[in-house]
Parts: sequence; structure tokens; C-alpha cells
Amino acid sequence: MPLDDRRHLTVSELNALVSSLVEENFPEVRVLGEVSNLKRHTSGHVYFTLKDAGAQLRAVLFRSDAERAALPLEDGMLVIAEGRVTVYEAYGQYQIVVRSLERAGVGALELAFRLLKERLEKEGLFDSECKKPLPSYPFRIAVVTSPTGAAVRDIVSTLRRRWPPAEILLFPIAVQGGQAAPDIVRALSLLPSVAELDLIILGRGGGSVEDLWAFNEEAVARAIYACPLPVVSAVGHETDFTIADFVADVRAATPTMAAEIAVPRLDDVVLRLDEVERRLVQFAEVGLELRRRRLLELVRSYALGRVRGRLEGAMQAVDYAAEKLRRSIDAVMAAEGNRLNQTVAHLEGFDAAKILSRGYVVCSDARTGGVIRSAGAALEARDVRLAFADGRVSAEVKERFDGK
Amino acid sequence: MASKKARFEESMKRLEEIVRELEGKDLSLEESIAKFEEGVKLGKVCRELLEKAEARIKVLVEDDNGRLEEREARDDIER
Repeated sequence: MPLDDRRHLTVSELNALVSSLVEENFPEVRVLGEVSNLKRHTSGHVYFTLKDAGAQLRAVLFRSDAERAALPLEDGMLVIAEGRVTVYEAYGQYQIVVRSLERAGVGALELAFRLLKERLEKEGLFDSECKKPLPSYPFRIAVVTSPTGAAVRDIVSTLRRRWPPAEILLFPIAVQGGQAAPDIVRALSLLPSVAELDLIILGRGGGSVEDLWAFNEEAVARAIYACPLPVVSAVGHETDFTIADFVADVRAATPTMAAEIAVPRLDDVVLRLDEVERRLVQFAEVGLELRRRRLLELVRSYALGRVRGRLEGAMQAVDYAAEKLRRSIDAVMAAEGNRLNQTVAHLEGFDAAKILSRGYVVCSDARTGGVIRSAGAALEARDVRLAFADGRVSAEVKERFDGK
Repeated sequence: MASKKARFEESMKRLEEIVRELEGKDLSLEESIAKFEEGVKLGKVCRELLEKAEARIKVLVEDDNGRLEEREARDDIER
């Protein structure tokens, strides 16, 4: 038999070596995992895979132990398996030969939860500086949850009721069992490619600790952390806290509350818009009227032609601007109807010439030129000028006849 | 074109800015009117964005290439 120069092992030798190393080092282990690929062989042996979000382990339960095990194994069940690790040398695969099994109690899950939480916290996944702010006005919202059940109904109906402008994009996933964690991870990795998506709501309704377990998986936590879009989590009820809740940008106590946190109320937004527009229009009214009055006063108070000419020019500029304003309001807000037309009417009311043509008169002191605003001042001035729409006359104030 | 969210946020922000400027600064008449006109237009943009939407629901379905497709949903999710 020709031998290579280099020293080598046969495959059998290597596997035997590995086998002895493994068996010496792991004669007794307890491992927490989810049962999957469960197969009961006719021989009575039971084969399955133990897994968590990131890894798998082959497991075998021999007939004698299977018969003793009080636990009816099912796919998806979280268990703690106790046994030894062996190598199946013929295939070069290692496995756990399970001697006994217990259903992972709340205690075991709590321990796993606490350890993962501490680790991720130390790593900085929960840091508040990493939290993305939620958009004030999201128009495209992805809802990642089971397409059946109360959670999706609560979220969708709340979103629709509060904020109809939003489009809701449902990403259906399994929210419990072995498929849940990979589904969530997949959703969070695909969603950022959806056009113009503003926000993600991830959640499910209440359930047992085991039911909510996918939301405590490390892979889910990392997917939320890596997601460039803001994520609102809503898992279970008020009292349920999952790892997903700690990593999410905002944690909501319930699915309904997630929707309430995610969107504003349309009524509030419309109110805010109304208020800003009201101030805008009010400015147009008050601001322009103020300028007009100031100029009108100046025109009336100076008799000098040159200055007056300039002021009249300014007056014309105001008139021109008002006209332009009126036109722009008409053009831009034609569809808006009433509200602004009323404003336009209002603005027209401030047109000095129109005021005068309605029968009002501007009375000014003949000597000082100042506008007279009271009967007392008119009596004091005696010599006054009256400006009508079509021209001006001088007049003398004789007496008060209102008895004051 | 920017997303609806971006357009709405931007328009609302600018509109509020304009009102503050009009109320706070002593702007020339021409400037005031230009700003007023801009404000009116921004308000209209905001209202249109709020009104055009109709609370649609779509379902995201993954196609063979791992891309997400938006499909109109049956309208019974709420029930």
C-alpha cells in the first residue's frame, strides 16, 4: 500500500479521535432548545433536532429512555434535554444522546431571557442614543404580525380610525413556533427595500411566555437593531416585556397602543393646519390694513405736493399689492371656496376709496393736517377738511349737538 | 419626488415658519405678499396630502426573487 510522505490520519482514525475527545468532555450536558423535525422510528427510537435562533443540534432518544420519558414530545416544544454528546463516527456527525427531557419551565426561560438581556444591554443594543425618532406624519406603515388574530385587527382599525391618510402594508408572519423568529428577521431585512416606507409596527397579542418566545430571540433583537426604519414593538399585554421591546425604538404596551403611538390623529393635524392658515389670513387682513391706514394718514396729513405725490405712489403700491394678493388668493384657493373669499371681501372692505364711497368721510385738521378721530377734537380744530370719495372740501365746526 | 411623509413634514414646517416670519418680522410689502402666497400654496399641499389618502390596506407578498410585491388586501382584516 503506497503511503504519502506526509503523516496522515485515516478518516476513521480522525473520527475516532474526535469521538473520544467529545465524549470525554461532554459526558453530561443540559441544553435548552426547541424540538423540531421530530421522527419516531418504528424501532422505538426518537430522532429530532434541537435548535434555537442561530444553531441546530441533532438529538436521539433511545427507546428505553423514550419509554421512560413522561413528556409527549412535539415539534415546537421548548425543552431542556439532558444527556451526553457523542459522535456518530460513520457520518462524522455529532449528536446528543438524550437520557431525560423536561419541558423548559418558566425558570429556564427566565434565565435565558436574563442572560441574553444582560449581554445585549452590555453590547449597547438598548442604548437610548440608538433609538430612532418616530416620524410625526407617517404615510406608509408596515404592520408585521400574524394576518389572523386580534392584534392585526386592533392595529389596523386603530390606524384607520386615527389617521386615514396612511397606507397600511401588512407583512404576514408566524408569531409563534419555530417559524416565528426567522419570519420576523426576514421581514425586517426585506422591509427597508419597500418604497417610501416610514415606520414598522411589529407585534402580536398576548400569550404564554413560550408563545411570546420568538420575540426574545437574539436574531430578532439584532434584526430590529439593524433595521434602518423606526420600529414600534407591541408584544402581548402591558406586563409582558420581551427583548424585542428593549431593542425597538419605541415599546408599546399593547398592539392598539402601538397604533396610537405610531400615528397622529387626523383631527389634531387638521386643527393645527387650520390654526396656521387662520394666522396666515389674519396677517393678510391685519397687516395690510395697518399699512393702508398708516399711509392714508400720511397722505391726508401732508399738503405738500411733492411729498404727497410720493406717498400717493406708495398708496398705489399698496393698492396694487392688495390687488395682486386678491388675484393670487383667487387663483390658488379657488377650490377652497368660501373661507378665503370671505377674507378677500374683507380685504376689499379696507380699500380706502371703497370705504369713502360707502358714505364715510375722513376728517382732518385744516392747520395740522392730522386726521380727526373724535367730536371733541373736531370742535377744537374748528377749521377742518373733509375727504369724500370724489374730492375734498373745507368746513367749519360750529357746535356739538349731541349734548355731551 | 420626496415621499408623502417628507412633503407633508416639509410643507407644514415651512408654513409655520412663514406665519412666524410674517407675524414677527417687519417685512416689506412685496416680501410679505410673496410669503403669504407661498403660505397659501403650502397649506393647499398639506390639505391635498391629507385628503387624497383613503386608508388603503395592502399585503406584502414575497416574489421568487425575494422582492416584496404590494397587493391590494381583501377588506376584511378589520372584521
